[in-house]
Amino acid sequence: MKRIGVFVCHCGINIAETVDVKRVAEEAKEMEGVAYAQDYIYMCSEPGQTLVREKIVEEKLDAVIIAACSPTLHESTFRAAAEEAGLNPWQCEIANIREQCSWVHTDREKATNKAIHIVATIVQKTKLNESLEPIPVSITKKALVIGGGIAGIQAALDIADSGYKVILVEKESSIGGHMAQLSETFPTLDCSQCILTPKMVAAGKHPNIELMTYSEIEGIHGYVGNFKVLIRRKAAFVDWSICNGCGLCMEKCPAKVSSVFDRELAKHGAIYVPFPQAVPNKPVIEQDSCIYFKSGQCRLCEKVCEIGAIDFEQNDQFVEEEVGAIITATGFETLPVADLAEYGAGDVPDVIDGLAFERLLSASGPTVGEVKRPSDGMVPKEIVFVQCAGSRDPERYKPYCSKICCMYTTKHALLYKHRVHDGQPYIFYIDIRTGGKGYEEFYQNAEEEEGIIYLRGKVAKIFRDGDKTVVWGTDTLTGRNIEIAADLVVLATAVIPKDSTAELAQKLRIQTGPNGFLAEAHPKLRPVESINSGFFIAGAAQGPKDIPETVAQASGAACKVISLFSRDHLEQDPAIAWVDEDLCGGCRICISVCPYDAREYDEEQGIALVNEALCEGCGSCVAACACGATQQRNLSDSQIKSMVTASLGGE
Amino acid sequence: MAKIAYYPGCALNERSSHLDRSARDATVKLGFELDELDTWTCCGAVPPVSEERVMNLVAPSRILKDVRDSGRDILITICDFCYNTLKRTNFSIKSDEIIRKRVNAFLADDTPERDYLEKDDSPWEDYAGEVKVIHLMEYLRDELGYDKITESLKRSLKGLKIAPYYGCVMLRPQNEIQLDDPENPAIIEDFITALDAQPVKYPYRTECCGSYLSVSSPDASTRLCYRILTSARNNGADAIVVSCPLCFYNLDSRQKAISEAYPDFTPLPIFYFTQLLSVALGVEFGRQGFEKHYVDVTPVLDKIASSTGKGDSE
Ligand SMILES: Cc1cc2nc3c(=O)[nH]c(=O)nc-3n(C[C@H](O)[C@H](O)[C@H](O)COP(=O)(O)OP(=O)(O)OC[C@H]3O[C@@H](n4cnc5c(N)ncnc54)[C@H](O)[C@@H]3O)c2cc1C
Ligand code: SF4
Ligand code: SF4
Ligand code: SF4
Repeated sequence: MKRIGVFVCHCGINIAETVDVKRVAEEAKEMEGVAYAQDYIYMCSEPGQTLVREKIVEEKLDAVIIAACSPTLHESTFRAAAEEAGLNPWQCEIANIREQCSWVHTDREKATNKAIHIVATIVQKTKLNESLEPIPVSITKKALVIGGGIAGIQAALDIADSGYKVILVEKESSIGGHMAQLSETFPTLDCSQCILTPKMVAAGKHPNIELMTYSEIEGIHGYVGNFKVLIRRKAAFVDWSICNGCGLCMEKCPAKVSSVFDRELAKHGAIYVPFPQAVPNKPVIEQDSCIYFKSGQCRLCEKVCEIGAIDFEQNDQFVEEEVGAIITATGFETLPVADLAEYGAGDVPDVIDGLAFERLLSASGPTVGEVKRPSDGMVPKEIVFVQCAGSRDPERYKPYCSKICCMYTTKHALLYKHRVHDGQPYIFYIDIRTGGKGYEEFYQNAEEEEGIIYLRGKVAKIFRDGDKTVVWGTDTLTGRNIEIAADLVVLATAVIPKDSTAELAQKLRIQTGPNGFLAEAHPKLRPVESINSGFFIAGAAQGPKDIPETVAQASGAACKVISLFSRDHLEQDPAIAWVDEDLCGGCRICISVCPYDAREYDEEQGIALVNEALCEGCGSCVAACACGATQQRNLSDSQIKSMVTASLGGE
Repeated sequence: MAKIAYYPGCALNERSSHLDRSARDATVKLGFELDELDTWTCCGAVPPVSEERVMNLVAPSRILKDVRDSGRDILITICDFCYNTLKRTNFSIKSDEIIRKRVNAFLADDTPERDYLEKDDSPWEDYAGEVKVIHLMEYLRDELGYDKITESLKRSLKGLKIAPYYGCVMLRPQNEIQLDDPENPAIIEDFITALDAQPVKYPYRTECCGSYLSVSSPDASTRLCYRILTSARNNGADAIVVSCPLCFYNLDSRQKAISEAYPDFTPLPIFYFTQLLSVALGVEFGRQGFEKHYVDVTPVLDKIASSTGKGDSE
């Protein structure tokens, strides 16, 4: 019989307050197979782990059970400790008496009894545990980064600089993302283009980075270290391999299309690059707007293009790539002004959003940096900025704080004052959130020195009256209702996930949270990883973020990828499904239930095999297999049976 | 002709009988009849906003239960306050078990023991909110279809610029009423369009007219109505259309006080939506009760008569 050691953790008072840990240890001592039992205040601490290691040797233990917190937290910690003391790691088990017991109960007596049952259950499992060896899996040392905003660019550069290959896939024709649209950036007011463009160029030129812009992910297979990705390269109708970016075609194109990049404040042709500093600086033809595609007449661009780069026959291309790790950095959008019914529902021309105001401030924007309102081009003398437009409003819009808008609104008011000295900016706010290095100082200075009027309250309604845009709000500090007949209104609209993120997340099989942003594996301790191994996340796709935070997270995700690639091979948990080939009748039910595509039919032998690299050990096929051919290592039928009996208090 | 259960409410019985009459005339022209409940009481008009949770729901609940007991599941009302009261009462009965039990204890035929009420374990759960309360305009939009109105027009309202006025209780609270977006509604605009008239956009269409302040601080209501009327006028309106008797009272009768307080003010005719509908469907001007209006509506009627080529000759 195995000699099992049981170690009961107090977790400070987290467990000990509700569970009588001493009694659990005493009861454990009486259980069949248990040779040693002991409680300790912090099992995961160095002295706690030393206790486990010493007792394994002194008491000649064959297996250990740590009755403590969830295995997702410390299973690997204790398995490593057990291994150091000479045990096979799979002879170390966790009995979760915190999340599944002390945290969810208040009755000490009942909780203690339950903890004893939990330990008894794991003792039954441990008795029959086999010693296992991890399964080695090879790694393709090439990364895929999806999304070419500042997050994707930074992550790609970091990985590429450490010597690994990167494919950077961007949906639009140029990388850059939203940062390319910004004028100057808080809190230092450096010009966004000036700090971004060098990085874009570096990413475009890096020998280890393959840029695939105007491309999207079609499908994905495989597992950490070995993904196969299908990428659709959308038809640009321009042969980029010969186009030299001269721009003649764009000058001649007679079509007029509202510029998404300029927030519809300007127009470009059907053949266009989104902005002059684009990387790559190659145009695309937007099929829906092109006169030739609509009516069969035009082809002006083709006539003026001397090198013959225009190609109306081009089709979408599909390429398959093998990569070992994937970073998703698909960024954000902002809540459409049209969704805000009380703020004019998008029908009032002089109500614009923050990104549109960035374009008005930008030296390369549609007004060359002069602040002119959309309706008639007048330089606004009074501007109202409305913060939290659609944020912090659980009843009607988004419940969360969009985090960046307090700062960028103050920036907007300040830049406006710098351009229109006699102008009067007003800011309606709920409260000003300036958590960030140098942020509070930036705001204090704006409030005290720049003549911006801050009004603490929400705006109830915005409407057009003649050529004025009237704002009704409240100043809760004076208790008065406020009416301002403004020349322009700028809404700090809520940051929301990019609309395509949900679809992409589904393709990648990674999680999103309640508001649609990508979910991290742990909100504090694993902020750049997805719960699925091999997937990492960066930037505003994970939640509202400013540039410094985005870049930090992108470098963090890149480091995780580099650390993954620095290993010779990966180790897969062996406690997964296996097939007794003599018993399998080849019914293939397992194939239909496996959520990870890990079961495959072997024609020759007429049986269903397990792909060990793909199997996550979820147990679906084990339960589905009618003839008992599929079993799970260290969770055999007999183990489960005795565990159930023990958990119900039986012998 | 299809008959649909109809709750007129007190205002339509008396002061706003022209709203009631025009609605009955119009619906007959559209092929259905408003079938007034045999017996009914006042709905209370404001119960959902008072602190008391049950007593004020008893009267409206009895009305609803009677409709259900008569084998019908739709009840039409026109007055915005009745609509709000009945619909919200029904919502409370449906969604709140305690309210349902307490109210039903009062509705039961045999007198309930006090105990039931205190312990909220009344065995009566008879009325569970089965009746659907519908505003007449909602019925026209969703059940009949506005296009059916357009097909039946007998007089042309073409060229008339009508400003919709929503007031406050027709659309709020949104989660209980669910008639339209309270911040950016369209139901009256679409109704105006269905009559072939032109809806006027103006910012005050959902602002308060003062409601009951009319009684306690009439000056406040005068100021609010002045802003609404002036804004509609400045945006080109020939008239304002409403569905609520209290809005009508404030916007129409109050124009006397407004003219005294604001010398620059020019009066603006106010119509019930049913009057415009009834007129457009060919019912005589004389049946509309225009004599009850404070502001003369003749300029608008003249426009209709001249563009149709027929006045009140039918
Ligand atoms: C009005 C405004 C002003 C701001 N001002 C400042 C400031 O002054 N200072 C500051 O620090 N921050 C500022 N920010 C915040 C800053 O814009 C963000 O922190 C930053 O852009 C986030 O970068 P990102 O790469 O995560 O996302 P994004 O910039 O959104 O980039 C995401 C990229 O992914 C691409 N993509 C999306 N979906 C897919 C897909 N399915 N497949 C392939 N590609 C895809 C997109 O096309 C885009 O290029 C401001 C934001 C706004 C809205
Ligand atoms: S063919 Fe299309 S893209 Fe080319 S110039 Fe004409 S409209 Fe523009
Ligand atoms: S960052 Fe400021 S403006 Fe933006 S949602 Fe949060 S509190 Fe509102
Ligand atoms: S255990 Fe789960 S993941 Fe593994 S093969 Fe079976 S069903 Fe697939």
